[in-house]
Amino acid sequence: MNTEKFKHISDTELLHYFNNDKNNEWLGILLQRYTLLLLGVCMKYLKNEEEAKDAVQQVFLKVIAELHKYKVDYFKSWLYMVAKNHCLMQLRNKGQYNAEINEQLLATPDETQAEESFIQKDIVLTNMETALQQLNKEQRECVTLFYLQKKTYQEITAITNYSLLQVKSHIQNGKRNLKIMLQALQQNG
Amino acid sequence: MADDLKDILSNNNNEIDNRQLMDYLRNQLNNTDKHEVESTMNDDAFMNDAVEGLQNFDAKKDVQTYVTQLHDDLQKELSKKKKRKDKRRIKEQPWVYLAIIIVLLLLVLCFVVLKNYL
Repeated sequence: MNTEKFKHISDTELLHYFNNDKNNEWLGILLQRYTLLLLGVCMKYLKNEEEAKDAVQQVFLKVIAELHKYKVDYFKSWLYMVAKNHCLMQLRNKGQYNAEINEQLLATPDETQAEESFIQKDIVLTNMETALQQLNKEQRECVTLFYLQKKTYQEITAITNYSLLQVKSHIQNGKRNLKIMLQALQQNG
Repeated sequence: MADDLKDILSNNNNEIDNRQLMDYLRNQLNNTDKHEVESTMNDDAFMNDAVEGLQNFDAKKDVQTYVTQLHDDLQKELSKKKKRKDKRRIKEQPWVYLAIIIVLLLLVLCFVVLKNYL
């Protein structure tokens, strides 16, 4: 199916069409948008190309069978949780993963990113430099290089001698810590 | 500087399309585009996990082959479902279809009679 001609239709609209007429073709278009990402997520957890491909097929079947049972607002987040849970279940069945998997996640995906509260920018800017100084050296260095100097991961790796994984983790943790610090400063101020 | 500081907190909601993502994986993007993909990855756990997984494929050309196969299988599955649905619909309403066939036969019969005897 040529998905290019549906490119202008958003996920929400496609989901709406599917909910209206239960025509699986809408679902097909929607799922094809995420095949590559799903393959990557399954590969990350299962670490085997064939198993990852099979897992994506299973996720497709699961979505086709179960989507109508849930009220899904953010298809992308929901699909990610379905795929991640499927992989974790597989690992658990193979005895490689013992954590309890909360079935509730299927129905209520973590949408914190989508609902993240807005922080007033003026206050943020006043506090940002202070907060940046409070980060540990590694996080401050990576956040500054990435966001202020617009360097790529590879460039930061070369400048700092940290591994790629370390760079990513310092940036992501640094950003999260900055948000926490700024929210605290905002509440106190 | 102030704008850059704001960038740290803003969520990058840019949608990275599959072609751009494949170019990133093949290391074929310039630094500005690369930075944009990475900035999206920082705010999108789905994308971040996907890139980490896709980087583990031995050959990047296999990724595209797998995606094509998965699309074909998905289409087969969806058309199978559609056929089953259509069959079920016929099974669930046999009288409606029977009535339609009878009406059509009667029309043909009328036509033949009218043509031959009038």
